[in-house]
Amino acid sequence: MIACIVIPGFELRAALREQPARALQPAALAPEPGREPLLGPVTAAAEDAGVRPGMRLSEALATCPSLVLVETDPATVELEWEKLLRRLEDVGFAVEPVEPGCLYFETAGVERLYGGVEPALKRALAAVGPAWDARAGAAERRFAALAAASVARPGQGLIVSDRPAREFLAPLPLSLLPLERERYEQLEELGVRRIGQLAGLPGGAVAERLGPDGRRAWSLARGEDENGAVRPRRPVERVAERLEFPEAVANEVTLRRGLAVLVERLLARDERAGRPPRKLALTARLVGGGSWRRTVTLREPTAELPRLRAAVAPKLAELPAPVTSLRLELVELADSVGHQLELVAEGAERAGRLREGLRQVRASIGAGGVSTLVEVSPWSRIPDARALLVPRDD
Amino acid sequence: MVTHTGRAGAPGAAGRLTPDAAARGSARRLNEPRPALVETGVGGAPLRVNRREVALLREEWRVVDRWWTEEPLSRCYFELVLESGENVVVFRDQELGSWFTQRA
Repeated sequence: MIACIVIPGFELRAALREQPARALQPAALAPEPGREPLLGPVTAAAEDAGVRPGMRLSEALATCPSLVLVETDPATVELEWEKLLRRLEDVGFAVEPVEPGCLYFETAGVERLYGGVEPALKRALAAVGPAWDARAGAAERRFAALAAASVARPGQGLIVSDRPAREFLAPLPLSLLPLERERYEQLEELGVRRIGQLAGLPGGAVAERLGPDGRRAWSLARGEDENGAVRPRRPVERVAERLEFPEAVANEVTLRRGLAVLVERLLARDERAGRPPRKLALTARLVGGGSWRRTVTLREPTAELPRLRAAVAPKLAELPAPVTSLRLELVELADSVGHQLELVAEGAERAGRLREGLRQVRASIGAGGVSTLVEVSPWSRIPDARALLVPRDD
Repeated sequence: MVTHTGRAGAPGAAGRLTPDAAARGSARRLNEPRPALVETGVGGAPLRVNRREVALLREEWRVVDRWWTEEPLSRCYFELVLESGENVVVFRDQELGSWFTQRA
């Protein structure tokens, strides 16, 4: 079976770890700077006061004037999430994290260890810890497991085993399906409020009105989940370097110099064992509280200082406020330690191969077998008058 | 109910192509119309396309062009969703009285 663990509002819970008293007050995760002013997750007290996640900031403040806005803290979220994953991995669960607050694992490997699916879920919830109010679900398919975890009570594990997934999903609210906000509204206007109601509609009509996402949601509602097996992550050794500034820094030149020092220190770490970085994460602690985080995946793993600096430094321009500390982390390392250089330039070889391929196509199909697409009148109302295929015999 | 089948290679002036055009090295049109088997209802709207049921008629439009030439073009387009969820575009060539499918 596939098990799912869900922690609603993980980002808010992580941000409130340092100030637990706030968790009892009406509080909500503030919108990210530069994004649409929509609230993130909210506390139970805020919900009691009528504030809902995804509400406009102005509307929320008008509804609940005492609402406290909590700054987003991606660095703490990442840290807490990583700790949680490691706790689960330490007790034998091979987890596939989807996003902070949601993960999957296969129960097959741990059922005998813990004596069944239910004890395994209990053990997983215990490993997560009571402070997070985690919920667990298990089913034959991913979406049913996610739905079960989403409707379970805090600390509870819900197993969907004795009836078909479609039957279990039917009475559940539509909001469990991965759809955009406008799509939910469209469906609600049509009187569709439960997953079972959507599953009962004809697939062609759903695809027509809601597009490919709607069609996928429809398949999920019918218990047809094509996204099958769990792909557990490979636990990694996190290597990081940190630089504390004596005072808040906003100057990009200083930040770039600081980053250069971090890259140098990181490349000198023994844990790397000569392997070049493939993915890095740059984290900053902001002067007004909160944090900022960006990840950089390199097109080609490299341990060359100038190339790493050139890849990461542009991210510094996105900093929303002066920073008090900068942290650079190796998220993923390449498996190989060496890099084979080419004798012939890559472009020339590719062009040669392409020419040879085209020559073979012409030889087997004959003249006119290879063509170039030429746009003639792309604005034309007649579809077959927009472009021409011109044979290439060069 | 009426059944129409398009004739290959004759969807009006825009699609006029001789089979050996490519072999001669001349340019040919992309997205040529392909003959289709279309069953229509009383109003002329397609009910089945290539023996597959139509679930929904999304849009319908008409293209009249080149009426001043020797090869005028007059087509009635229908954008449809089939029961399988597939989107298709068919048109009736008014000059030939035949049906074709095409990517619009």
